[in-house]
Amino acid sequence: MSQPILIDFKGAALGYGGRPILTHVDLHVEAGSFWGVLGSNGSGKTTILKTFLSLIPPMGGRVTTRGRSGDSARFGYVPQKERLDPIYPLSGLDVASMGTWGRFELFKRLRGKIRNSFVRECLSECGATAFAAKPFSSLSGGQKQRVLIARALAAEPEILVLDEPLAGIDVPTQLALLDLLARVKKDRDLTVLMVSHRIRAEKTLFTNIAFVDEGKVVCGPAAKMISEGKLAEIFRGDL
Amino acid sequence: MSAILELLKPDFLLHHAVYGSAVVGFVCPLVGVYFLLRRLVFWGVALPQVSTAGIAFAFLLQGLGLTILAGHEGQEKHLAIIGAVVFTAVTILILAYYERKGHGLGEGRIGALYAIAWAASILFVAWNAQGETEMLGLLKGEIVSISEQDFHAMLNTFAVVAGALFLFQREFTLVSYDRDMAVTLGRSAGFWDLLLYLIVGVTISLGVMTVGPLVIFGLLVIPPMAALPWAGGMLSFSLLASAIGGVSSFAGFYVSYTRDLPLGPVIVGAAFAIYLLSQLVQLARSAVARASR
Repeated sequence: MSQPILIDFKGAALGYGGRPILTHVDLHVEAGSFWGVLGSNGSGKTTILKTFLSLIPPMGGRVTTRGRSGDSARFGYVPQKERLDPIYPLSGLDVASMGTWGRFELFKRLRGKIRNSFVRECLSECGATAFAAKPFSSLSGGQKQRVLIARALAAEPEILVLDEPLAGIDVPTQLALLDLLARVKKDRDLTVLMVSHRIRAEKTLFTNIAFVDEGKVVCGPAAKMISEGKLAEIFRGDL
Repeated sequence: MSAILELLKPDFLLHHAVYGSAVVGFVCPLVGVYFLLRRLVFWGVALPQVSTAGIAFAFLLQGLGLTILAGHEGQEKHLAIIGAVVFTAVTILILAYYERKGHGLGEGRIGALYAIAWAASILFVAWNAQGETEMLGLLKGEIVSISEQDFHAMLNTFAVVAGALFLFQREFTLVSYDRDMAVTLGRSAGFWDLLLYLIVGVTISLGVMTVGPLVIFGLLVIPPMAALPWAGGMLSFSLLASAIGGVSSFAGFYVSYTRDLPLGPVIVGAAFAIYLLSQLVQLARSAVARASR
């Protein structure tokens, strides 16, 4: 039985400041799939993410998102860790707690009913309990990524979106993070989209790939995309 | 000690001034925390000066007979507050727009704004034939002569400001730290930004009227700088910065009263002394940590 489409781009033009970066984008993300959004630096991968996350509007065509049950989609977003300013005096727990801040909950807040226990569960699921009390800015790249994944899970998402989660991280930690992603995807029945500029370790996880190159997006099943065409040519060294 | 107790007595002649400057000291750093974290410290220099220009402009209009509020001292102050709030709010909205769009050189814009606001303040004063002395007093801050009515109005406004900053700390932290995350969680980042800027505008405008632009800039920036190394989270950061601001203001008032010195510079000096102490203790702590390794 086919799965519902959660993210749907139809002939979309994407870009910033009146300048399209990607045109004629057709992308249909089914529930339960694991997408790799691949391409070189500056090719427009993050633009795709920002568009369906409603951070920037599409410049043309149609982009729709929805949850499995037809209501609005719930996203868990893991940004590039370098984008978060280290000046903020926040612990790992503080950062992870932000995932639960989607609701206003003023009266619960006034009564002191905060959702720390749920956040701690998410941190534990991501193996981040040991360093949750430490300042977030003092954590290693891998530890930060675990906290950010916990934060995304605390938002109780249907769709997990990760922007270059393995960048600047050593290989053993990359493999551990990929194991974590595979596990949480399975346990929570998530749909995952992950931006990357390489596919060495993560290729076994991807069910589908969107390859961004020269203003166009080419999509297909991961196995087919990896074995043939320009993607195979470009990433030959990685495969 | 007896002089400190004397300052705190309700029958002390300047007790409104003591409490008023302490309240400004407690509240301004709560706003300054976000200036520091958003790396908008130079807004703290320019906005009080813009607020000052707003006050001078309001008085200029009054001097030219172009206001319906002219006539009574209380109304003049209301007019000055309106001028300060309008100038500050409009400037904040323009700065925020350019900041969001990322157009041009932010620091250069703030520098140019500071220069023109200062120049405008002087010109507005020069063009105003009436009430120059009183206006100069207002521009420097009139905390010493604050009336009972103005004191209570200021107290109520700052209570609302402080309450909102604590109540919505999550929202302000989220949109400041990770705006994209706020949007993906369905929060209206624009609304929370706007509310924060409104609070900033009201605090600076009222603060400038009360203690003058120099003290406001000092209290926006120095207490959060002193508190940051010791903060374990956003709440402790805000509380510590606020406490440092309040203590600086009270200590400044005490020194100013007992040594017959101008109030504003002494408050800023007290805040800076605490900042220096914070830096020295931090250096000592780092040295001890290095030695014990």
